Amino acid sequence: MNRINVEITKVYSSDGIVLVDMEAGNCPMSAMLIEASEIPRWIMPGNIISAVFKETEVSLAKEFSGKISLRNKLPCIIEFIERGQIMSVITLRFGEEIIHSAITTRSVDSMELKQNDNVLALIKANEITLMQQ
Amino acid sequence: MEDDLIEIDVEKKLISASGILNLHIKTSLNFGELVVVFGDSGAGKTTLLRILAGLTEPDRGLIRVGNKVWFDSQASVNLRPQDRNIGFMFQDYALFPNMTVHQNIAFAQKDKDKNYANQLMDKFGLTEFANRKPTKLSGGQKQRVALARTLARKPDFLLLDEPLSALDMNMRTALQDEILKAHQFNKTTTLLVSHDLSEVFRLANKVLKIDQGIVTGKGSPDELFLNDKISGKVQITGTLVRIEKHDTFYLLTVITGTNQVIKVTAFQNDIENLHEGDQVLVFTKAFNPFIRKIKR
Repeated sequence: MNRINVEITKVYSSDGIVLVDMEAGNCPMSAMLIEASEIPRWIMPGNIISAVFKETEVSLAKEFSGKISLRNKLPCIIEFIERGQIMSVITLRFGEEIIHSAITTRSVDSMELKQNDNVLALIKANEITLMQQ
Repeated sequence: MEDDLIEIDVEKKLISASGILNLHIKTSLNFGELVVVFGDSGAGKTTLLRILAGLTEPDRGLIRVGNKVWFDSQASVNLRPQDRNIGFMFQDYALFPNMTVHQNIAFAQKDKDKNYANQLMDKFGLTEFANRKPTKLSGGQKQRVALARTLARKPDFLLLDEPLSALDMNMRTALQDEILKAHQFNKTTTLLVSHDLSEVFRLANKVLKIDQGIVTGKGSPDELFLNDKISGKVQITGTLVRIEKHDTFYLLTVITGTNQVIKVTAFQNDIENLHEGDQVLVFTKAFNPFIRKIKR
């Protein structure tokens, strides 16, 4: 799994649905959670926690323009591409952190992804789990 | 005071080989719950069950079940075991060797209701063994007879002291189902002693954690045992049984506490500290899983 350090900046809650705004470096991020009973105390502004997301939930965009509903757009540099027959794993540098994206090898080829490319790693807010450190 | 509440506040000084234990159990439970009493050996779990059954007298305290007082040291009330309407099954359940399965069950009945005895045998798959003596039964079958016999009195309370500890994994799982059945059959309140975590997750509505004679935790299995520091709402504990490399990722096989086989993909950094045989937590978010009816 991918696990990066984030600082919680704001917590919105309505009817059991919680939207947590965070910052990773200077990059804004969001996670959507279901907390039907009570928001755990460690989820509060100012706390440094981990944002956790699966490699298969990280999409990549290159030369991206336009509007998109995704809340999490992390600017990254491609460090390494491990090519498989069908699936490839891309190692990405995101500021101080390393994250991985698992996408089809077909996409790697059609996007002509290569080392040192600038890409956006895209993750939906509801795919991000929070963990206390 | 509520009518559907069991109030327990009992003290007893226990002297054992490992020293003196001051048992002081103070808690309340709801009618109809399946409560697993969890703790290390020597924590006082069996004593608590014996106290509830009326087999061991506390030094002082109170046991109130709904509006009925079972024990009150100040008022010198101490209901006899037979007046508490409990079913008690010990680890070394003893069937009467000279009686058949049917006779073992019928003997325990207060009302000698033949229909009910047949119903119980049917429920626990014992009908075909009705006329066998216990020596002609397997371990699992004997355990089922013991459970059926415990239910024959139509108890309000089932007290089960590690009823499955002597059995292998497959038999345990099968009999856990029987215990659930037994619990639901008469809408009893069940207290079951166990120190097997998968059993806790399988059976318990509520866990009463006892340490050194004192209640140190009470809540759902999730609340007490799952890592509440993860926001993921779908959390499954299990044993990692296989790690296979597929192309650029790994496929892990996990057997869950309910004996289901699940597969999870993982990547290089995940498997660096994972080994086959490890106890693992599989988690995801409430948003992700699909759900579909398989039986009504």
